[in-house]
Amino acid sequence: MAAVFQHILNGLMQGTIYGLVAMGFTIFFGVMNVIKFSHGDVLTFGAFAAIVAVWTTSGLGLPIWLQVIFVFLAAMLVSAVAGAAISHFLIMPLRNAPPLNMLLMTMMTGTVLRETIRLFFPNGTNSQRFPELLPVGGLNIGGVFIRYDGMILIASGIASIAIVHWIIVHTRFGLAVRAVAEDSETARTMGINFSRTILLTFALGSITAGFAGALFGLYYSEINYGMGLLLAIIGFSAAIVGGLGNIWGAILGGYLFAGLQTFVVAAAPSMSDYKNVFAFICVIALITLRPTGLIAERKAERV
Amino acid sequence: MSISMQSRRKAAIWPLAIAVALSAAALIALLSIDDQITLGVTLGVIAAGCVLAARFGAVAATEAAGADHPFVLRVLVVLAAIAVLIGLRNDNFGLLMVTTVLIYATVCIGLTIQMGYAGLFNFAGAAFLGIGGYTAALLGPKGVPDLLLLALGGFAAVVVGSLLLLPVLRTRGHYAALATLAFSILFNVFLDANDIFGGPQGLKLQGMVLFGWDFTNDITIAGYTISSYANYAILAGLLTAAAMMLTGFIDRSWIGVWLDAVRLDEVAASVFGLKIGRWKIAAFTIGNFFAGVMGALYAKMTGFIAPSNFTFGDSLTMVSIVILGGIGNRWGVLPAALIVVLLPEKLQFIQEYRFLLFSILVIIILVAWPDGLIARRLRKLEFARR
Amino acid sequence: MTRTARETASSAPLLVAQGLSVRFGGLLALNALDVEVRRGEILGLIGPNGSGKTTFFNVISGVYSASAGSVHFDGVDITNVKPHYLAAHGLARTFQRSRLCLPLSVFDNLALGAVGQLNSGFMHNLISRSAFRAEASKLAEEARELLRVFNPVLADKLFEPTISLGMIDRRRVEICRALIGKPKLVLLDEPSAGMTHDETDMFMNEILQVRKSLGDLTIIIVEHEMNLIERVTSHCVVLNYGKKICEGQFKEVAADPVVREAYLGQS
Repeated sequence: MAAVFQHILNGLMQGTIYGLVAMGFTIFFGVMNVIKFSHGDVLTFGAFAAIVAVWTTSGLGLPIWLQVIFVFLAAMLVSAVAGAAISHFLIMPLRNAPPLNMLLMTMMTGTVLRETIRLFFPNGTNSQRFPELLPVGGLNIGGVFIRYDGMILIASGIASIAIVHWIIVHTRFGLAVRAVAEDSETARTMGINFSRTILLTFALGSITAGFAGALFGLYYSEINYGMGLLLAIIGFSAAIVGGLGNIWGAILGGYLFAGLQTFVVAAAPSMSDYKNVFAFICVIALITLRPTGLIAERKAERV
Repeated sequence: MSISMQSRRKAAIWPLAIAVALSAAALIALLSIDDQITLGVTLGVIAAGCVLAARFGAVAATEAAGADHPFVLRVLVVLAAIAVLIGLRNDNFGLLMVTTVLIYATVCIGLTIQMGYAGLFNFAGAAFLGIGGYTAALLGPKGVPDLLLLALGGFAAVVVGSLLLLPVLRTRGHYAALATLAFSILFNVFLDANDIFGGPQGLKLQGMVLFGWDFTNDITIAGYTISSYANYAILAGLLTAAAMMLTGFIDRSWIGVWLDAVRLDEVAASVFGLKIGRWKIAAFTIGNFFAGVMGALYAKMTGFIAPSNFTFGDSLTMVSIVILGGIGNRWGVLPAALIVVLLPEKLQFIQEYRFLLFSILVIIILVAWPDGLIARRLRKLEFARR
Repeated sequence: MTRTARETASSAPLLVAQGLSVRFGGLLALNALDVEVRRGEILGLIGPNGSGKTTFFNVISGVYSASAGSVHFDGVDITNVKPHYLAAHGLARTFQRSRLCLPLSVFDNLALGAVGQLNSGFMHNLISRSAFRAEASKLAEEARELLRVFNPVLADKLFEPTISLGMIDRRRVEICRALIGKPKLVLLDEPSAGMTHDETDMFMNEILQVRKSLGDLTIIIVEHEMNLIERVTSHCVVLNYGKKICEGQFKEVAADPVVREAYLGQS
């Protein structure tokens, strides 16, 4: 029983990360009808920037709490810049190209990011140890060991999801994003600056990815150059399951995917290699049965 | 009499002859030269030649000549193939490379039908190649004759592919993308975890024996003795030619028109009577069959099969080949496959960086030449009445 | 509402919609619509923007599903039948937003209109090529004939890419695509959109000419140009907010106060 709870807590962390990634996918699709496959690798970029921040700040002898702040700042900043640059230089110019070209291009961009880290980061091919910055140890409740850092990270993850959601729903900027997602033509005639909104949207989505990258590093204490690919595929499927363009759906999809993985790991530990197989099959079955996602996908076609 | 009723003067043959001859020479050169500097220079010359050719309309002249004189084209290709084989008679690695290029090209011709004609996204091309290979590896030892193994490899790919049909049939391309992508990754997970398939080490295979001819025998043509690797090259060449012809017939028939209509406008297509599902399934099936057959050949040729040859990255490479060559243009697949498969092997100094450079190249082409190297030609179902 | 003029036309109704409703979530796009189209007549379907005219076409051609009611075509119940069956029954249409496959040739687009008459089998297309070639040549001749009625120059462009044609020529191609399959009923959705008055007149004449050569096929036409409706239709149905608000000959309908209010708003 205790083991099950352990898995569930793990699953919560996974789900939070997946949810953050999926939010990015869904937002990018909403505003530009584009599947930005490099999103996962933008996350990795942020994670590596975070590790550099740790090395630098600990080398400078800064207090731990300051290091943590810089970790998150570095990750978010670098990811934001990378994501915004990709959107500005590659995605915007190609927005009228066939969807397959765009998809392939973002996949290739992801590969470029991945390979850049692998080739040019010191010892990039191997996993990098992410230092323990948050309080070690935890609570022991009825045989279940709840990590302090786990609690902090899950809480901050959920908080960041809430913040992004708040931004989209309750700010003027968020209104602009939603307007562009709904009908970009009309939004422009209403005076919304299309390019600027798009740029900031991609920046926001990428900041979220960077945040998730820092979370990942702090929780799992290890990052590697290839972690973004699987995260991207999972985030993408979570976004589709939730209905592309729907933020709540993406968050839901993220936790659902983690839940499916947790189910396999908890119920059949010997089959844990198959957790992804199981989860993907469920996801594919789901989208086959309800093609527009659990909550409807937007953009119906005009006949 | 209106202009279209007059017969158009047929294109001249000599551009075609020169193009084929130069291509054969270039191929032999690229494969034989190992010295990196000479190779680099040769590549530069070839690239410059291609650019100039495109500039001065030679590509168009060659295409027109090829279309107008199909028989001559086939004869020239056969002659060129023989020349290449003779040129590479002692170069085992070169022959292996040629075969690998042909195998990849044929899978990509199948992908052309799926993506270029019917508009289906398939990010699992390498997985279907692998299915064909594993089928050959598992059934070969059971005494199934080799020719049948090739066919069974194709059928296995079709059967497994049918599991993905439901998501692939969806209107939105990204569903098919996700389903095939997930399948591609899971295929590897599955293979690595299961011992029936040999796990990460894979399985071994016997070489091919077709109609009593053992593929370990050397071949003699026109007095030259050619290494036994040529057997696989010839078989691959024949299969590629068959795939090309079949795809050509598909393109220049009602089926080609219906596939294009399904890709371009599903609503209009269905309103006028096309069963969208039926045609998507047809395209998906044919493409997967090609991949499965070539997978069986690939496994036989290399003598072993392992999951690491059929990763998502390889599938992504195949999609890139299709787009680089000009999506929808089956002829463009050949030079694209050559570039993508051959260059990283030959240009040793870029070995480590090949994924990075390749990805950058694809991005540049997608931004600058979205139609690829050679754009797809307009279909003209114009036949003179006899 | 006088029916004598209609009753003197061919008798049995070709298309009957009864109580037809189409609902999109909370929006009732068509509200219990009763429409009858007689064989051989040209019916005008008019109404302000958003009144459900294209929705009506879409539900008849199977693109949308009906939430209630029924549609019978030539005696057969076609309510909620999949779109691809309807072409076989003899129903063809054009679209408000031109839906031609632009990268393809004019011939390819016209061939799409003749799907039901062409052999799509693998043997025919891939093995016995001579039979296919003969079939293609025959269709090319039919296509040229049809295009020639509209515009002799267009007939020579049969194997040009459709994207190279001007707007009016594209409209012509789209109509030919609807007609080449020799349908019983054709739905024309705003064929003259984007054309000048003169271009519209000429276009309509061409359509009527072709119609005559095809033996007076039945047409439902959605239009905003009232002169056109007045000239070509024998009967009109007026929609507003998805409901039929008036029916009759154009002159009667144009004078009806309910119709005037629908178009001009409450005075």
